[in-house]
Amino acid sequence: MKRNLRIILLLSIYSAKTSLSNWFGALLFTFGKLIRFGMFLGLILLLVNETGAIKGYNTNQALVFFLTFNLVDTVTQFLFREVYRFRPLLVSGDFDTILVKPYHPFVRILFGGMDLMDLGMLLFYVPLTAFVISRSGEISSAGLTTYLILIFNAFLIAAAFHILVLALAVLTTQVDHAIMIYRDVFTIGRFPIDIYRDPFRSIFTFIIPVGVMVSFPAQALFSLLQPGLIIFSFVVCAVLLIFSLALWNRALKKYQSWGG
Amino acid sequence: MQPYLQVFKITILEYLVYRLNFILWRFRVVLSLLVIYFLWSSFFENTKIILGYSQEQMLTYILLAGLTSNFVLASRTQDVAGEILNGSLINYVLRPVSFFRYIATRDLADKLINLSFTIVEIGLIVLLLKPLLFVQTGLVNYLLFDIFLLLGIGTAFFINLTISFIGFWTPEVWAPRFIFFMIVFFLSGAYFPLDILPERFYNLLLLTPFPYLYYLPTRAYLGISTHLIPFYLIASLSWFFITYYLCALLWRKGLRGYSYYGR
Repeated sequence: MKRNLRIILLLSIYSAKTSLSNWFGALLFTFGKLIRFGMFLGLILLLVNETGAIKGYNTNQALVFFLTFNLVDTVTQFLFREVYRFRPLLVSGDFDTILVKPYHPFVRILFGGMDLMDLGMLLFYVPLTAFVISRSGEISSAGLTTYLILIFNAFLIAAAFHILVLALAVLTTQVDHAIMIYRDVFTIGRFPIDIYRDPFRSIFTFIIPVGVMVSFPAQALFSLLQPGLIIFSFVVCAVLLIFSLALWNRALKKYQSWGG
Repeated sequence: MQPYLQVFKITILEYLVYRLNFILWRFRVVLSLLVIYFLWSSFFENTKIILGYSQEQMLTYILLAGLTSNFVLASRTQDVAGEILNGSLINYVLRPVSFFRYIATRDLADKLINLSFTIVEIGLIVLLLKPLLFVQTGLVNYLLFDIFLLLGIGTAFFINLTISFIGFWTPEVWAPRFIFFMIVFFLSGAYFPLDILPERFYNLLLLTPFPYLYYLPTRAYLGISTHLIPFYLIASLSWFFITYYLCALLWRKGLRGYSYYGR
């Protein structure tokens, strides 16, 4: 474990150096992300102030949903950025050289490219989220603890999704759209899952658990989540992790080295 | 004309080769539209009018803006940046065809494919969700919609090409496009009609090209003040020509200093 962490750190330093070699581009992308964040923030503030609430959530609560989405999304991108670069490794045959290395392939293809730009965004999102939560009225310590646990649970679900994408990539050599579809589906969580009408709401809660990843933590924070749904979140996470790892193992058994 | 017809046909056929990619892309577009649709629907649950818009006007705006934005922004011009960087641009400029017409033909094919799919998708959304929609009866509004849409398509085409021409001077071509799309989705009115913004900000926005891409055509369908039509027409035309001249200028300047080995 310690050895793997050291390798991940080393790979992340290399990744950061690569990003910094093109610092202007990295700066522009970060600026673009800030523009997107600022504009959605403005939209939410404008609309919730005008209408009083969004599905019963006041301004601060709506902001917590939005910030939780940004937090989970950014941590996920920070941790699993290398997944976006997996296809070239696969089709060029370079994946073979990773498989023969004396460490788990996830060290390289899942965690091996932590993104410095996203870390910068996190330094902005984390204090902002903490500030908005602190201004959101009475938050119980149980609510806050459940929020943090469910956020961690969301990271694990995100990890499962990324492993699924990797497995699908090995099986089909297609990964670009799969990961982008995950990103697009995840944007559903930018707003409380309650705004979606059934059957969409059920699909995004029980089948593609975006609601579990983003809305459930925020609802738990405001003590609006039933205990049964908290347990359901852990079950979803466990099932997805087991399924994604099983599919990954199956994909590896089918792998025949595509390129090289 | 014949070469461009062939380019048109080939571009359409390319989509038929990469069918899965295209279907997944359309899935992503529908998903984005649904998010905005549901967001606005939820706001109208407790109130009839928001910032001057009734529910039927707003949902019509969101769906029509989804349709027009797909038509206006669908483009193959982003390929040009890569072609400048990898040198394949040389292959085009040496051929006895107009590069601009070649790209415009590819764009047209792309837009028609996207438009036909968008019509089906929005049709399905309307069938499934049965939203209350505003149906315009004034013929003038349809005419204005067409005029503003054509000008918006042209302006978006030249802006897109101009961004790609950055590739003549720097390999950093994706970040400016990323920023452009971030800005365009908000300031062109994909998520909301721009006139719900504070008046001063809205008036400032009218001095930029963004509202003329697909906000104005969509707003023209819903109805716009008659006394503002000359201003909108002049502004749309101005941005069309400004972006055209800027694009042509960058193309000439870029091409003058462009060289590539190994092609």
